[in-house]
Amino acid sequence: MAFIEIRNLFKRFKNVVAVNHIELEVNKGEMLTLLGPSGCGKTTTLRCIAGLEKPEEGDIVIDSKPMLSEGFVHPSKRGIGMVFQNYAVWPHMKVYKNIVYGLRLQRLSKKSVKERALEVLELVGLKGLEERYPAQLSGGQQQRVALARALVRNPKVLLLDEPLSNLDAKLREKMRFEIKSLVRRMGITAVYVTHDQAEAMVISDRIAVMNSGRVVQVGTPEDIYGRPANRFVADFIGTMNFLAGEVVRVLQDDAHAVYVRTEFGETMLCRTPHSMATTPGEKVYASIRPEDVEVFAAPPQSRENLVRGTIVHKAYLGNFLFIFVSVNGNLIRVQVPHHLPQEEGQELYLVLDPQKCMILS
Amino acid sequence: MTRGNILLATLLWSVIAFLVVYPLSILVVESFKIAETGTWGISNYLEFFEDAYYLKIFGNTLVLSTLVLLSTTIFGVPLSYILARYRHWGKTVFTALILLPIVLPAYAGVFAFIIFFGKYGTVNLLLMEMGLIKTPINLIYGLHGLVCIQTLHMLPFIALSLSAGFTNIDPSFEEAAEVEGASGFWRFFTVTLPLCTPSYLAGAVIVFLWPFTDWLTPLILGQVDYLPSIAYINIAYHFTDMHRKYMGIVAVVVSSAVCIILFLLAKWWVERKKYTGLSKGTTSEGRVIEPGPLIKVGSYVYMVCIAILVLLIPVVLGLAAFSRRWVFEPFPTYWTLDNFRLILLETPLLIKNSFVFSGVALFFGIAFGLPAAYLIVRTRVPGKDALDFVITLMLAFPGMAVGVSYLLAFWQAIPLATHWVIMPLALFARRLPYFLRMAHSSYLQLDISLEEASEVSGAGKLRTFLNISLPLLLKGVLVGVVMFFIMAFQEISTAIFLYRGGWETLPIGIYLNWHRGMEFGIAAAMAFLMIVVTFILLLIISRIGGGVLKAAWGPGGT
Repeated sequence: MAFIEIRNLFKRFKNVVAVNHIELEVNKGEMLTLLGPSGCGKTTTLRCIAGLEKPEEGDIVIDSKPMLSEGFVHPSKRGIGMVFQNYAVWPHMKVYKNIVYGLRLQRLSKKSVKERALEVLELVGLKGLEERYPAQLSGGQQQRVALARALVRNPKVLLLDEPLSNLDAKLREKMRFEIKSLVRRMGITAVYVTHDQAEAMVISDRIAVMNSGRVVQVGTPEDIYGRPANRFVADFIGTMNFLAGEVVRVLQDDAHAVYVRTEFGETMLCRTPHSMATTPGEKVYASIRPEDVEVFAAPPQSRENLVRGTIVHKAYLGNFLFIFVSVNGNLIRVQVPHHLPQEEGQELYLVLDPQKCMILS
Repeated sequence: MTRGNILLATLLWSVIAFLVVYPLSILVVESFKIAETGTWGISNYLEFFEDAYYLKIFGNTLVLSTLVLLSTTIFGVPLSYILARYRHWGKTVFTALILLPIVLPAYAGVFAFIIFFGKYGTVNLLLMEMGLIKTPINLIYGLHGLVCIQTLHMLPFIALSLSAGFTNIDPSFEEAAEVEGASGFWRFFTVTLPLCTPSYLAGAVIVFLWPFTDWLTPLILGQVDYLPSIAYINIAYHFTDMHRKYMGIVAVVVSSAVCIILFLLAKWWVERKKYTGLSKGTTSEGRVIEPGPLIKVGSYVYMVCIAILVLLIPVVLGLAAFSRRWVFEPFPTYWTLDNFRLILLETPLLIKNSFVFSGVALFFGIAFGLPAAYLIVRTRVPGKDALDFVITLMLAFPGMAVGVSYLLAFWQAIPLATHWVIMPLALFARRLPYFLRMAHSSYLQLDISLEEASEVSGAGKLRTFLNISLPLLLKGVLVGVVMFFIMAFQEISTAIFLYRGGWETLPIGIYLNWHRGMEFGIAAAMAFLMIVVTFILLLIISRIGGGVLKAAWGPGGT
């Protein structure tokens, strides 16, 4: 049984439905990320787990104990640690007092409180700053205080609400790895909320993509990127080219391979990502990531999904080059190594890898 | 929404219903009473709006309001611009001095001005001694004096709101205007001033309503043909003529209605027109420039002039307080401590009453205000917005309306007016918004996640409040506490209707002793004492609140 179970959770604010009957499970020791655009309900879901919001319907079970159905369990009784987006480090308390606040509420000896606090301070790399006030700390250090405070009571569940969004880009990248290794080392079950897909890919064991109050897809980062469940997921995670089309024929020997008619040509060979069955005539989108398009100066010999186009635009991004190619008036984004000489206006041939080209509804 | 919150809301609402809604509705009901027949009807109102005399005083009040607003604006615009935009030495001191009248009681100003600018006051006597004039000039008795004194009293409200406006404008708006080719005056009138309209209006409405509230200044200057003064005379002096009493009540209701309506209109307009949301945040200082030498000298002269006028009040009252028989002399010649001996040793009752009543009112204020602020900011209990609304409305209600309504409401059915607790209760109801707004705004600034972090860490609601919320709210709450105390300490409009023998407070003592003519030394000493108390309290606020500016008005500007 999963460590955290979210059952049929429903929460609304006045007339706006924030969380619309979602089901979600988090396994013990796993880091699950709720990923989605702003307003998708990810933070509300997290706050429901924390007990900071009371949902109208549904139940949340943490470590086999229901938090709602057998009477509302107050946040202080849930055994959770939480890192807030703005850190919420109490400005009137020194670092040490901030960290031991929760410990002091437990019946512990002064000595063991101190031992535990120093241990956590060491863990997050704040040793020697115990006597500072939060105003004397940098943003990154305040973030560590918030993390230490959340971890000090050995919580069953760690909740992180966009903890890195207020840090600068370099520090954010560093903290991703630190948080991940820290949580993994301690073996805590963690739920992480972010709108940054790169952050989600790096930090999570599994990702739950949310959109307008619903969970759209749950899976490992590889699943989500390589086999997105629908157009929304494919578009939100990474970059995707979509070509509107219609299924022409399903291959007999491989039910997952279909021919689609798009504006690029009569027959594009695509794969269906999941066990979804398609029938000829269905309206779909043939989708391909920019890195899955091969570029040739001259037409290669007999390849599937070969089209001819003109470069209209190029963008140099350092480690690679983005080119925008016009094919029959449709723009397609292609990622190519930067050493390939590409000029705007140049004609070239594209092969849309049939193994990577998928159809999405 | 827990049961506890609903219980709290019910409790707070019953207090408001008993101390605000009930008495004020009694006031309105009484205004419909017809003296001759003892029945109810609208004839009082018909008479009020048909009688040439009442119409005239209504018009007078409107004219006075307009003139006061006009002159505060004319003097206030350059003043606030200087305070907000120019880098100059002694900014804090000047700001504090110019804002001082906010915390000084209005009657202190009138008394000081009569002593200094009166018919045989210091100025006239000096001018005659110098041979510049033969007979004294009428400097203050009349509309011009009224406008003058009320302008000085209300100038800080305009200065505060406008300078807040000037400070909060995103500098890039003005820079854009300058890049487009506008400079100096053109930029000021086309961009800066229009952007300030919402904050100007917030102050302007308070200024405009003051003549509908202030009964004492016209009365003392012998100008009774204004709405609040006539109301006071009708109710306080003509109680044997029931009809005149009811007409007085009608006058109170009419001026209250004007106050409420204008206040609400301004509030609605300001909230609709807030421009500050358009900008991406600004520096805390706003745009500060180094003025040229000529402008710098000019602005110093301007500020010093206003500061001298303000300082006249405590200085003149101080001179009068430490002297005896200061008449027909430009400055006192006979110095004595007699006045203080009289107040402090022989009749310390007034001082005791003032402290006790304000203190008890303050206790009620905290006991009510803190839970109310919590309820309004942190919960979603139905009716909490209405609670906020009703309490905010009390800002606009004339003090006299509260006093009269308490007298009517707590006389027969609920005979509370025979117990001294009516005094602090009335002070509490009247000055509540001052504390609540302060507690409210500090609660708004307290990020809710700080409290949530505590709950997640294992603390209950009460412990969270004591360990996290209260220490972080303390500064704002303390400023609110002191502000409330200052305002309750100098309250006269409400108390004058409710006090009985033995319940006199300092303001009432000042008023009564002034009436006794030659005893104005005692009145001045009392006023001086009150100013000293106010000063000490202000100093305390500036210590805790950081800055005299905040001390005078609290965080968050208007």
